[in-house]
Amino acid sequence: MPELEERINRLLSLVPYVIKHQGVTLDELCEVYEISREQLLKDLQLIFLCGQPDYTPADLIEVNIDEDRVYISMADYFARPLRFTPAELSGLYLACSSLMKLSGLPSSSLLSAMEKIADALGVAPVSPEDIEKSVDMPSLIPEHGVLADLSRALERRRVVEMEYYTYGRDELARRRVHPLSLEFGMGHWYLRAWDERSGETRVFRVDRIKEARITRKAFEPPPGEEEKPLSPFRIGELEGTEVRLRFAPPLTRWAREQKIFSKVEEDGDCLVCTLYADALTWLERELLRYGPEVEVISPPHLKERLRRRVHDILSIYE
Amino acid sequence: MNKAERLINLIAMLLEANRPVTLDRIRSSIPGYQQASMASFKRMFERDKSELREMGVPIQVEPVDAFGEEVGYRILKEEYYLPEIAFTPEEKVALLLVNRLSSGEVIPLSREAGAALLKLSPDLGDGSRLGLPGSLRYRFAAQAEYVEHLNRLWEAAVRRRTVRFVYRSMGSDAEARERRVDPYGLYMDRGAWYVVGYCHMREQIRSFRVSRIVSEVELADPSGEGPDFSRPSDFKLADYARILPWEFEEGAEYVAMVRFSPKMAWLVERDLGQIYRFRHQEDGGGVLEVTVHNEDAFLSWVLSFAEDAEVLSPPELRDKVKERLIRILDRLGEDASA
Repeated sequence: MPELEERINRLLSLVPYVIKHQGVTLDELCEVYEISREQLLKDLQLIFLCGQPDYTPADLIEVNIDEDRVYISMADYFARPLRFTPAELSGLYLACSSLMKLSGLPSSSLLSAMEKIADALGVAPVSPEDIEKSVDMPSLIPEHGVLADLSRALERRRVVEMEYYTYGRDELARRRVHPLSLEFGMGHWYLRAWDERSGETRVFRVDRIKEARITRKAFEPPPGEEEKPLSPFRIGELEGTEVRLRFAPPLTRWAREQKIFSKVEEDGDCLVCTLYADALTWLERELLRYGPEVEVISPPHLKERLRRRVHDILSIYE
Repeated sequence: MNKAERLINLIAMLLEANRPVTLDRIRSSIPGYQQASMASFKRMFERDKSELREMGVPIQVEPVDAFGEEVGYRILKEEYYLPEIAFTPEEKVALLLVNRLSSGEVIPLSREAGAALLKLSPDLGDGSRLGLPGSLRYRFAAQAEYVEHLNRLWEAAVRRRTVRFVYRSMGSDAEARERRVDPYGLYMDRGAWYVVGYCHMREQIRSFRVSRIVSEVELADPSGEGPDFSRPSDFKLADYARILPWEFEEGAEYVAMVRFSPKMAWLVERDLGQIYRFRHQEDGGGVLEVTVHNEDAFLSWVLSFAEDAEVLSPPELRDKVKERLIRILDRLGEDASA
């Protein structure tokens, strides 16, 4: 049923789309409806078989494809799409209000778009104010300034100079990058950019950018690079040094929820967790956080580094 | 005969009808119904009608004659048609960006929002023709594993319906137990969703991490109409939207001062500066004044900054940092190189 419903909904929007934009290309329709060319042709074929009783050629919807351009006639009754259901209208309001909270975008155009929709359809079954109050995303607000700067740099294709804290190496350093895209995932905003220093495309967490300055220097992104999504996020890679940790209760329950471990094995009432890491510096800080309830099984040099680090911290307190 | 084809033909016929169409006429007209026996046609039609209504197609039932003995069906154009909306290019871009968000399924009712935007597509046109600004290079990665839970909790929150679910808490009572909760709102923190509401078991307002709900989310009173509760007028979601680990009430409350190095101070200020007092220091570092309830959780957090954080006061807490560090050293065992 969901698949059929999706298709019916698409067909009921596709026909008015073509009626309004006669001569639209097949490519454009594939892009707008996020479907393959094959699926689109199947959809158009189905529309071609529909119409009014008695379904003689004169009663059927006319679909013409001419040099990849689509024309539909004899379907005036499908000139407009179907109205929203109450849940769809609420969902749209919720998505708009969430987008403003997440992105901190200048929201005037989004607000005016929502007003036009409200004017045309009447008010949502759940009041916009209630929707606004029903969801919060608080921790993302502070770096909105940086996000706005990066968005401007993306738009103008300008090189950005930034001070970035690399968690893996526990290091704050200046970098020059060519911004390619911004992505929200796993609760954070990420910047994908070409990094001048390493000569590679890297992913940076926006909340770890201390300052971003848009330079006057423009750049041309390598073809196709801007469209590449950065997901899926890399979790539990099987690269780097193998690290094995033993968690004692009550930390075991917490350890089970962490997504950084590639393998979790029971050992009595303890848990032995395995992960693979390129740089171990961040792990030292994580181990300090876990405290004495976690034991480093291997590698030995991680133990040694942690021991040195603990002595360093102790010296502050002497 | 393809079902999608049958449904489209049914909508087209009822939409074009000037007066209600009888069942007989529907059966004799639409190819998919013609072959069926009367009884199986009626079942088919009832199912089609209710599926279409669920999709929001406004099928009306009206008497066909003055005696009201026979009924017919039709769809009124003014109830069916989405009014045409003229958006500016900027508004179109903003809505296409909303589409990005909803296709990521990061938030409740994402699919519904996506369906609404699909219906707006004739008025939005082709995004790539608009000369999209950099903001459209925003992407939202699919991540919500609990979309169904989110949808139900959100619906219950705005409709003020009490829900019940089995919850596995992280606290001392490790057992999964059924909770009854009046949901007040939802929030997302670092990628995880939480529902805040009045917990009937604890008799206070609590946050629940949605990923720790181990059953379906169900209405406590499914046959009722609701609303089951009213949200306190002074309730603000933001007050609960971020409870830090050391704020869970376990021990006595006190104020601790922690100094952060220039390397990390700005990060701490950005993260917590709106919650606690933060004093800048000349070298670029800063001092955070934190209210602590749960000392263990607080020590964990401070130590995760390694040598970039130092507890200044109270002195007892400084001693506890040292004690904890020495216990970590003990656990690490003897220095192999010594």
